[in-house]
Amino acid sequence: MFMQASYSLALREVTRFLRQKNRVIGAMATPVLFWFLLGSGVGRSLVAPGFRERTDYLTYFFPGIVLLIILFTAIFSTVSVIEDRREGFLQGVLVAPDGRSAILFGKLIGGTLLAVFQAIVVVLLAPYSNYHPDARVLFYLLAIISVLAVGLTALGFLIAWPMDSTQGFHALINLFFVPLWFLSGALFPPAGAAEWIRVLMRFNPLSYGHDALAGLLATRPGMPLPVDLSHDFSIVCATTLLLVMACALQVSRRS
Amino acid sequence: MADSLYAVQAEGVGYSYGRKRVLDNIDLKLEEGGMFCVLGPNGSGKTTLFKIISTIFALQDGEISVGGRSLRQFPTPVRKKIGVLFQNPAVDMKLTVRENLRHHGNLYGLDPHDLETRINKNLEALGVENRGGEMVESLSGGLRRRVEIAKVLLTRPSILLMDEPTTGLDPAIRSELWSIISGIRNTRKLSVLFTTHLLEEAEPADEILLLDQGHSVASGKVSELRSSLGKEYVRLGTYSPKKLAAKIRKEGEIEVTAEPASVKVVPTRGQAAPLAIRLWREYSHEVTSVTLCRPTLEDLFLQKTGRLWSSTPGEI
Repeated sequence: MFMQASYSLALREVTRFLRQKNRVIGAMATPVLFWFLLGSGVGRSLVAPGFRERTDYLTYFFPGIVLLIILFTAIFSTVSVIEDRREGFLQGVLVAPDGRSAILFGKLIGGTLLAVFQAIVVVLLAPYSNYHPDARVLFYLLAIISVLAVGLTALGFLIAWPMDSTQGFHALINLFFVPLWFLSGALFPPAGAAEWIRVLMRFNPLSYGHDALAGLLATRPGMPLPVDLSHDFSIVCATTLLLVMACALQVSRRS
Repeated sequence: MADSLYAVQAEGVGYSYGRKRVLDNIDLKLEEGGMFCVLGPNGSGKTTLFKIISTIFALQDGEISVGGRSLRQFPTPVRKKIGVLFQNPAVDMKLTVRENLRHHGNLYGLDPHDLETRINKNLEALGVENRGGEMVESLSGGLRRRVEIAKVLLTRPSILLMDEPTTGLDPAIRSELWSIISGIRNTRKLSVLFTTHLLEEAEPADEILLLDQGHSVASGKVSELRSSLGKEYVRLGTYSPKKLAAKIRKEGEIEVTAEPASVKVVPTRGQAAPLAIRLWREYSHEVTSVTLCRPTLEDLFLQKTGRLWSSTPGEI
């Protein structure tokens, strides 16, 4: 019953998303436009770690944009928790036998599916950024994108669950998530940053997600996988697990 | 405490939001197949009580059994027995009618083939079989309620819980909804517990619980509660109730109460009917109407709380 309920809730998330055309366009086009304008604007002025020669910013920025798409889609998919509560739909789920755990896993699966789908669509643009992932790299990319999507959806869920206003949610996102993304290495490499910024970046789990994405994308066919990959994976997986557990604990509490 | 004769049995239920006590020592018993109304003005605690019984809120004080199972110990089996109709329809506006029902069935783990059969039956029973492919957001309030009832009944609950089910509906749709509920009760032998702030909606219930500021002020069968209030009385419509009440009061042997646009006169001796005729003749120049009344639930509220029902905060 639990799996059937979770599947149904996940399917609902995807159906609702696809029926809101503006949401589809906004979620896909905004990061890509951001990447193109910022990347083209900053131009060939950066030597990024991991690159042997001067590289243009479009290339450096690409893994960060994949991360931003996962972040945007996963986090904003959880706004529906607040909408469901306000519109009354959520209470109908909460009185179902496995409603509480089903709503959590339904939202996690739904948010993850949406984020992974959009991130993969953008990854297909990789050759335009001088990246040429092969099948092996795509497999690992899919894995890290999925784990990141689960973790970020869980983080969004954790924040959205006790909230009753979407405005408040958006305010928190701007305060919390945008800096989290800034400090992931998506916009600038840690090497050239101030010491205190480097410390913050080291403690930001998203940095390891970005590192894994950047490392994998830079792996040319026939090259070995990045040496930090298993380390990055471990940190992202552990953080995701903790976030999912925190969500499960929060959802199980009744008022 | 659980007694199998009762579909819902609550004893000493209390609830606090932080330090604020919103329910205190509430008892109720809904007989199997019966209809029970929790009546109270806005802010009386009825929605909190409803949320506890429907397992959304955790039970803090007291005990509740639903279908013979303890709500505190077995919330999941209890959820399988109840169908819940909320004040705001718990349907997804961005899904079609049929998708909403299918989703609900999946939430309760119904077999997919059986689910489709049940969906068709329920849509037909509620008269919305031609609306299955329409988005719920395109339906009127009355039709949304029908869809929700069709949805709730998919799981064949033995107890139907409804929180102010007619909120936001116009009078014609309200009456239609109640006739649908009545029909369902007859065919499915459902036990029904509902909350309302509308006095007239409580009348058909077998029993009521009258709440005020989190306390039970009266409970029992509507007819018994009415008869406990005493005899028939006369209500005189007037533009100057205080002035007229003062004049009538001088006559003695009657109880006179000035109300916002009327005067209530209760005979302490004799019958109300002759009194009504006499008052109509004597005060015809000040009286706009004369009504012979039986005690109502409004009178019960006035007697128990000292306040008029109409003076309680209204719906916004």
